[in-house]
Order: sequence, then C-alpha cells, then structure tokens
Amino acid sequence: MERTLIAPGVHLSCDPAEKFNRCRISIHFAFPTKRETATAHALLPLVLERGYADCPDMTQLTKKLAKLYGADLTVDARPMGCSHNLCVSVTGIKDKFALEGEPLTREYAAIALGAAFHPYLVEGVFDPQAVEIEKQMLKKALEDEINEKRIYCMRQANREFFGDSPAGVRQEGYLEEVEGLTSRQLTEAYREMLRTANIELMVLGCDAQQTAAVREALLAELAAVDRVPVPLAENIAMPRQQPLYKTETYDMVQAKLCMLFTLGEPMKPEELAAVRLAMALYGGSVTSRLFLNVRERDHLCYYCSSSFQSFTGSMAVNSGVEHADAARARQAILKELEDLCTGEITDEELEDCRRGLLSGMSGVEDSLGGIESWYYIEVLRGGRVQTPDQARDALRAVTKEEVRSILRRLSLSVSYLLTKEDDHVGE
Amino acid sequence: MLENKQTVLEQAVADQWKVLPSGLTVIVRPMPGYSGTHVIFATRFGSIDRDFRLEDREVHLPAGVAHFLEHKMFEDQDGDAFAKYAKTGANANAFTSFDRTCYLFTATQQLDESLDVLLGMVTHPYFTEQTIAKEQGIIGQEIKMYDDNPEWRLITGLFECLYHSHPIRSDIAGTVESIARITPEMLYDSCRAFYAPGNMVLAAAGNTTMEQILAACARHGLMEPRPEGRVQRLWAPEPMTLAATEKTLTMPVSKPCFGVGFKEEPLASGDLRGEALYDLICSCIVGGMSPLYRRLYDEGLVNPDFGGEVLRVDGCCCILFTGESDEPDRVKQLLLEEITRVRTQGVDREIFTLCKNEKYGQLIENLENVEDSASQMADFALSGQTVAQQITMLAGLTAEDADAALQRILSTDRMATMYILPDGTAPAAEDEEEEE
Repeated sequence: MERTLIAPGVHLSCDPAEKFNRCRISIHFAFPTKRETATAHALLPLVLERGYADCPDMTQLTKKLAKLYGADLTVDARPMGCSHNLCVSVTGIKDKFALEGEPLTREYAAIALGAAFHPYLVEGVFDPQAVEIEKQMLKKALEDEINEKRIYCMRQANREFFGDSPAGVRQEGYLEEVEGLTSRQLTEAYREMLRTANIELMVLGCDAQQTAAVREALLAELAAVDRVPVPLAENIAMPRQQPLYKTETYDMVQAKLCMLFTLGEPMKPEELAAVRLAMALYGGSVTSRLFLNVRERDHLCYYCSSSFQSFTGSMAVNSGVEHADAARARQAILKELEDLCTGEITDEELEDCRRGLLSGMSGVEDSLGGIESWYYIEVLRGGRVQTPDQARDALRAVTKEEVRSILRRLSLSVSYLLTKEDDHVGE
Repeated sequence: MLENKQTVLEQAVADQWKVLPSGLTVIVRPMPGYSGTHVIFATRFGSIDRDFRLEDREVHLPAGVAHFLEHKMFEDQDGDAFAKYAKTGANANAFTSFDRTCYLFTATQQLDESLDVLLGMVTHPYFTEQTIAKEQGIIGQEIKMYDDNPEWRLITGLFECLYHSHPIRSDIAGTVESIARITPEMLYDSCRAFYAPGNMVLAAAGNTTMEQILAACARHGLMEPRPEGRVQRLWAPEPMTLAATEKTLTMPVSKPCFGVGFKEEPLASGDLRGEALYDLICSCIVGGMSPLYRRLYDEGLVNPDFGGEVLRVDGCCCILFTGESDEPDRVKQLLLEEITRVRTQGVDREIFTLCKNEKYGQLIENLENVEDSASQMADFALSGQTVAQQITMLAGLTAEDADAALQRILSTDRMATMYILPDGTAPAAEDEEEEE
C-alpha cells in the first residue's frame, strides 16, 4: 500500500492488488465527534446512499448498480473512539470481467464521487421528502436495538462507561432527536464534514492510470470546497473508577453480560503488539483463558470473549450466560484476569496465542476488506502506519512481562447484565 | 459470450476436480499470490437427516444429532482439535445446516499439519458417555442463545406452519430435551452412515496445489477404495397441505416481526436451476429494484431488511418473505397483490436481466478470496455441480422461465403467516430520556 499526501488533510492510499477480481474505491471522512450533530451525522449515510444529483432516484440507482454486475455502493458510519468516520465506497468486478466490455471502474469512480460530493439537493438542501423517509428508517433502526440483546447489552454498558466523554456520544444517533431534524440541519452537518474532515481516498485493485484519474477527480471536487481540516481526535482512556454494576430485566432465555475495563491512560501505539497478544491470551482466541476455562472447562458461558479498543484504551468482555450463573461467570472472568496478572503464564500457551495471531496477520492482504480495514485503522490510530509484516515482527518480540504489564493496568469500570426478572437477586 | 471473456472466466474459476478411489470428491483451486489457504471438509449430513436405514436396521435420531456430532468431532482420545490447531496457527471452525456439516480452517503456514488435524479428527471419531454429557451443557446454552433471536424464531415458526412431519420443523441444534437423549451409539451410527468418503467433499482454495491435498488424503487412507455404504434415508410422507396457516408468539422486540411462507413442491436433488430461478423471481417481486419494495420503503411499512429467500433441501422447498413492520397485514396484502400482478403480467424484463447481472457479479466476487472460493466450490460440489456449470446455467435462465414457474408457485393455498409481537417490555423513546 502506498500512501501520499495529495492536499492538506487529504491522503491517497493505493494498492493495485492485481490478484483480486474486484476493485474498490472508498472515500473516508474522519472528524471529531460532536454531541450536537451526532444525530445528523447518523442520518447522513442513509440519505447519501439513496441517490445523488446525477441519479437521484433510489430505485434507478439500484438498477444502475445492478447493471454494473451488482456493484456495491455503501455509505456507512463507523464510530472509532472520539472520531466519527463516514465512508463512501463502491466495490465491483474489474473491467476484464464485463461481458460487453463496459468501462466499469470509471463508473465506480463517478458513483463514489457523486455520492460523496454531489448529493441531490432541492433549493439548496437535501431533498426533504427523502430526508423524511430516511428519518423513519433511522428511528426504526434505533428502536430495533433491543431486538439483538448482545448488541443492546454492549451499547448500554458503553453508555455507562463513557458517560459524557466525547467517546460516549451516541454515533448511531439519538432517537428523541430524529423527528425534529430538518433538511437544512442535515445539509449544514454535511457541509461541515466536507470542510473539516480528514479525507483518506483508498483505491484498491485499480491500475496506475485509473488511480490517477480518481485522484484528479477528487482534487477537482475538493477545489470547490472551502477546506479547513481539523486535527484528528486524540486517543483517550477513561479514568479508573469504582466498578458500577447495573442490571436490566427482560423476558429472555439467555442472560447477556458485558464488562468494560479501562487502561486508565491512552494506549501508546508502541504497545499495540503487546495488547494484541494480551487479548489473544485472555479472551480473544480459542486458545485464551476465557475460552478454555470459563467456556470449555466450567461451562459458564456459551460465548465469552474479550476485545480491546485502542482508540479508547478499553477492553470489553462479552458473554452469554445462564441467568443463574451470571454472578459466577463474572467472578470467573475476573479471576482469569487476576490469574494472568499474578500467576503463571506458560510458554506453550503464550506461543500458541502468538502463532495464531501471526498466522491471521499473514492473511490480512488476502482480501480487499482486510487490506482496507488494516491500513485505515492504522491511519486513525495515529503514529507510524505499520504494514502487517512490521506488525508481525513487533509481535514476535513481545515478552511475557509486557503482556502482564498491559493486563495489570486494566481495571473493571462497568458490569452490565441483561437477565430475566427474579434471577438477578444477589447480583 | 465473447470467446476471450470465456477464457478470462475459465482462468478465474480454475478449479481442479478429482474423485478418489475411496469415493471422496476433492476440489482444489490454487490462487497464486495469496498467503492463506481455506479448506472445507463437508459431509451431506445435516439436521434433517434423522431417519435412515443403515445396513439392515433402521436408525431414528432425536433432533440435533448432526450439530452435536459436529461439536464432538473436535475431541478425540488425544485431546481437543483446537489445541492441535493451536500448534499450526490455523484458524478453525465448523458449522451445521439443515443438510450438511462442514469442518474448516484457514492457514497461512504449516498447511500439511493443519490438513492432518482436519482429516484426522473427522475420520477418527471418538465418543463416550462422559464426553457426551459434557457437551450437552454447552450446546444447551447455544440453543438458548438462538431462542432469544427473533429472526431465527420467525423462520423456525414458519417451518412449523408449513410442514407436518419434515424434519426441517426442528431446530438445527435440537432442544435441551432432545440432545439429552443422544448416545455414543447414535453418533457412531451417524458417522458410519454419513461420514463415508463417498458422501463427502474436500475443497481447498488458496496457496496450495492438488498434489499437496492428495498427499494429505493419502496419509489418511483416503486413496484406498472403501466398500459402498448401504445407507438409505427414510422420509415420512409430507403432504402439500399446511400444518397450520398462522402462528403468533410474543418476545421483547420493538416492533412486530412477520413472515409469509409458501410451501412449494420439492425440487429434485441437484436441481440448482429451479432454486436459482425462484431466487430471481423473489428479487423481481420484492428486491431493491421492484416497485413493491419501493412503495413499502417510501411508506415506511418495512425497513431495508425486508426481503425474500428460497430454502430447499431434500423433500422440502419453500419461499419465505420476512421483515418487520407496524402493519404486517398490510404488507402481506400488498405482497399478495404484487405476486398476482407479476403472475398475470409477467416479470419485468429489465429487472430480470439486471438481477441476472447481479448474480453473475456475485459468482465472480465469490472467487476472489480463499474463504468464499472454497465455500462456493464445496456448496456446488455437494449438489454435484461446478462453479462453471453455475455460470452457464445462470446465463440460460430466461424471463419466460420465470413466468412459467410463477404459474405454479407462490400459491395462497399453501401460504402460512408467522407473527412475533412485542411483549411490551422493550424500552420506548420516553424511557431512554428518563434514564438520562
């Protein structure tokens, strides 16, 4: 992957990725999240994805993509710590597979740039009719959160954990604000994004000529914008606190438990390799303590895994447990962490975890999605952009003590339990 | 199709097939430039294979045996297969569906060793009363996890309405009660019946060769001829009537979820053409390009998850439309009106062609990464087909074929409806405000 600065706050990352059958053009907008525009920025992807000035009708756009052999236009928002990230991407098969010799890649670029920079406006604002329809869709999505208990439990835990911090802004939007949102407010939020966001243009699977054409087209679009890029949000960590235990009850068959831990201070980029190995050892792999002991040996959970978010220096442990076993599961999860911090870590288990991670990293560049995710997260995380090979070298050098040092700094802040009525007595 | 296009496609597909003396079908797709290899060892044994004749006796299994067996395959006298994979660095998994069980891994190093773990664990089953008892707890929790999933409950509820006796009525994982009845003998019988090489497919895609895969097969005795298995699946008669026309249950969901299912004549084994055609018809009726979808979307009657799907296994074929709506009966009424309209007027020619275009793109896309590539090869091979045959078959489907099929499918006489209604405990917007 080659990364170059092509304008202030704008980078081009490209990889010809010749082995793939498809190509992908994506435009990432990253900007610090703000409470007052959170709902507008949550609605924006839905409105941008349904059409743009040259193809305003949603059904016609779907047909246009189908004609391009099912090319995929996606506009999505991904929360990453204190940053809001909106990505417009088009992925489709390469020109050589077109049955009639159509110039597919040129079309993909036109659609991606059109969706990102030329929305369909009516009297200077997003089409009010489209906005009203998509507001209803956003409302439905927010109301549906409860249907998937695992995600609901995680989100509720995160809300307690982050509180009023910038990382606690609900990037999925606030249900009670959706109805009052106007086309004008949405348009202003969009224009602010164009002005202030850091932009990463990622072109994968295209040749040099195609890449240069996309680059020039993007620069031409940006020339029409009064750009004032703001610095990317810094990584944070929530301060340590006394653990907060919350329980919510529903008529459900399996309880869900989400435990959130803080590192107490932002993770340093050079600690990433040790964090990766610590997670694989604690709960992020099938050779981890949580999997082998809490799930397989003690049968306390159907799933029980840990993950680390480097942007917020936080670790989440998620599990699905029997209602009556929730308290025991929570104690077991804490005990496994304590055992790793103070007890023995065998060479065998450490090397099993390291081997699994190294193997996984070797395959990162076997998919377009893998390449894009790897490099974009590297960019957002700050510091030097590491290739998978460099990350593998760093991982090989991690010691047992470095792993312990990460785990010892993690302290429980929030334990959130979803369970049925009457079963949380004693929680 | 242009001749040079054919060559490009042949290069993209580039899979190599071999049927070994043991009966095992091996398919390999070397993918130059890739680091990883994805391998799938699949058997035609799924949750619907409950009753069969093995040699001279009948075997009747409780619900959930295929899935239970999948879990138990990871354990033998030497220990856990995950622990062995940990020594190779491979990322391993398995899954069971209605009609197949697949064991798989992705490896970027020590491929031979990982192949030995995979072939060793699946060809050397080991079960005891004790190891079975241990697994019942974990699977019981898995079953409970699915019980909280409204989408899964919707689908299983529809099957219960559409079918009287077909085993698709039972959950893939079974129930806590049914898995409590599993014995080592049942698992060994299932292995003898369905884990014979002649009933299995080994597919590999990525940084490997046919020679490497065959060498692994040889190490595990899969090059040796095996006696023909004497297994016959037993099916209870399934009439084309419904077990029930409607079913309703309540759960903690925010809005009503609904499903409209149509029972169709079963498709012949290996008839992927019929399945592909039904799939295209679904897209023409409710897909993103259809006028019905647009109307439902614009009127806020459904969200983007609304759609149709075709499900076919031995002895069962049905078309299901599922979604979420404040007015499920209105959506159902509009759906039925649209089916009648399309049946009368014929499918929209433009939409039909564009749907075919999408499917073609999907087949090409699925050849791109090692996981999708091996999965696609194994899926088609289990039905006796190749990816190339699929591309040719797709090209041959016409709108006239769809019009003809519409005269016999999606009949309201064979339609059932399933509702999941909110039980009133899901939080409303006001509650969220109060919490803050």
